[in-house]
Amino acid sequence: MTRVRVLLAIAAVAMGVGLWFALTAPTDTLQGEFTRIINIHAPSMWLAFLAFGMTALGSAIWLIRKQSRWDRLAEASAELGVMFTAIGLFSGMVWGQAVWGRAWDWGDPRLSTTAVMFFVYIGYLALRAATPDPTVRARRSAILGVIAVVQVPLVYFSVNMFRTLHQTQSIRPDGITMPREMAIAIFVNVIAFTIVYIALLFARIDVAKAEERAAADIALAGDAVKPPRLSEVKDV
Amino acid sequence: MGRLVDLNQIAVSLGGLPVLRDIELAIDAGETLGVSGPNGAGKTTLLRVLATLLAPITGSGTVLGAELGTAAVYPVRRSIGLLSHRPALIPELTLAENLRHAANLSGIEFSKAETALRVVGLDEVSSRTAAASSFGMLRRTEVARLLITSPTILLLDEPFTGLDVEAQELIGALVTRTTGDGGAVVMVSHEVGQLASHTSRLLTISLGRLEPAS
Amino acid sequence: MEIARIDLKVERRLGDTMRIVLPFAVVALLVFPLTLGVDLSAISRLGPAVFWAVGILFGMQVALRQAAHDDPERRDLYALLGVDPAARFVGRTLSGGVLMSGFLGVLLVAMIALYSPDLPDGWLGPVLLTSLLVAVGLTELGTLAGEVTADLHNRSALASLIIAPLALPLVIGASSTLEAMTRDAGILPWILILVATDLALAVAGVGLARPLEEASR
Repeated sequence: MTRVRVLLAIAAVAMGVGLWFALTAPTDTLQGEFTRIINIHAPSMWLAFLAFGMTALGSAIWLIRKQSRWDRLAEASAELGVMFTAIGLFSGMVWGQAVWGRAWDWGDPRLSTTAVMFFVYIGYLALRAATPDPTVRARRSAILGVIAVVQVPLVYFSVNMFRTLHQTQSIRPDGITMPREMAIAIFVNVIAFTIVYIALLFARIDVAKAEERAAADIALAGDAVKPPRLSEVKDV
Repeated sequence: MGRLVDLNQIAVSLGGLPVLRDIELAIDAGETLGVSGPNGAGKTTLLRVLATLLAPITGSGTVLGAELGTAAVYPVRRSIGLLSHRPALIPELTLAENLRHAANLSGIEFSKAETALRVVGLDEVSSRTAAASSFGMLRRTEVARLLITSPTILLLDEPFTGLDVEAQELIGALVTRTTGDGGAVVMVSHEVGQLASHTSRLLTISLGRLEPAS
Repeated sequence: MEIARIDLKVERRLGDTMRIVLPFAVVALLVFPLTLGVDLSAISRLGPAVFWAVGILFGMQVALRQAAHDDPERRDLYALLGVDPAARFVGRTLSGGVLMSGFLGVLLVAMIALYSPDLPDGWLGPVLLTSLLVAVGLTELGTLAGEVTADLHNRSALASLIIAPLALPLVIGASSTLEAMTRDAGILPWILILVATDLALAVAGVGLARPLEEASR
């Protein structure tokens, strides 16, 4: 748990630094202060992609090696991916409502595909919750985890395939199309969010390990079921 | 208490097919009746008639004074206990919660249920869910439920199947208590040997009819 | 109350409604506009109608979830514990109504966020009231349909088929309430239709509980 506490402390500091950068970065002329939402929205979506990628990785390795640590990674990362996607969707909707007067734009495939991605992993978590046997749960969710990751590149590249209201990538291999200070603020927040992800990932994995230990500690039923007290039957 | 069950020329059908016919049966207080027969003979159907859960299509009968197939059976159902061959527990609840649920519905204090759990030997595993419990543990929980509800007529469907010796002895103690309190027990099984050692009278179902066992 | 309490406890542990049916229903809300193309004004206008259609169709799964967990042994146990079938109907309606209200509430928020409908002034009270009435009516229908189709192998589809047309008064009453508000017309007749439907189903459920229980054996 010490490792987690240290990471959480670092994450808290990093988020503080990210907040400072977000509040001091320049804003867009048309969108005004609402521009700052990008420092939540963009890092959240990046971390969602990372998290679901880690889920796919953990799932694939579990299918090969059948070690529970990879299943714990896949599960924890999927939960965090859903959380970051929810934050990204919500912040995007607030931004859209404020700037364009609509929380949801059906003309934007990236929004729709992100929502679909969100529900794919909600289904992944529901599958896990519905499967009591640990090995069966790991196998079935590993299969789904590998299939579901197809959503991630689909979301990312959708904005390049369609002309949309959504902002295209501002940070591309051929250069950055936003003010340098704004890009730095986003970059700092991506790092801060990543540290938060790592801290929460380790914390969640520690919880999963504790749950497994607790389940193993439960006495085998055969040992804990005691002989009936036949002489006391008549007194109940 | 006298005569607890009186069936006259009862016939029962399920899914449009006749299952029981010309059933004549009288059960008095203190009796332990065994009914044997092969699978599909109608043993479970007979138990469900005695539980007032199935109405006859012809014939007449009373259970605890209530005419079968009428609204009179509703008040007497609380005095009937049934151990089905499949446990009737809610899988998502713990064994203790299942027992508490039955106690609440019967207006019985849970302290009595806690005592029953201890008597049947489940006090240390009662926080396990029914879904995660073995068949033997589920059976013991149902015995605990029957201990707290204290039925006058106890109906047991293949009660010893899948149980260890201790659990079988527990069923035996339940039977003894029921008859000792002036009730009656009807036990059905395809294993005649088990029935013979636990019952005072033995019948068999053959071609839908009740006959004395040979 | 005991029946309702246990039913809600089981739902909390299984999470069928909130973890499975609700996300599925929100995905359905996403599907409609994707098939309509990018006509934002049409999407806005259709929002409330789609909400009620999805709410009722998927709400049927919420209403039928109790029936899905029922089995003959449990029904026999309740009968022998002296639980009156009418009391069981009321208990299930209570727990189902709570779950259905939560389900429709979250679905409503999702519809508003996704469709940006033009809602008339003062819409919240009537919409919440109609949602509650639909929740109760749908739950009553689900409980009744579950009893009528007990132990049948195609129960889920059959019960849904039974509920769907019987739920039409609920659909019409609920969607017409908002439409009437948009036209500044009175909403009372539509509310009364919902109340009358709920009352009729309640009377049927309580009155027919015993015959239904006997018929399920």
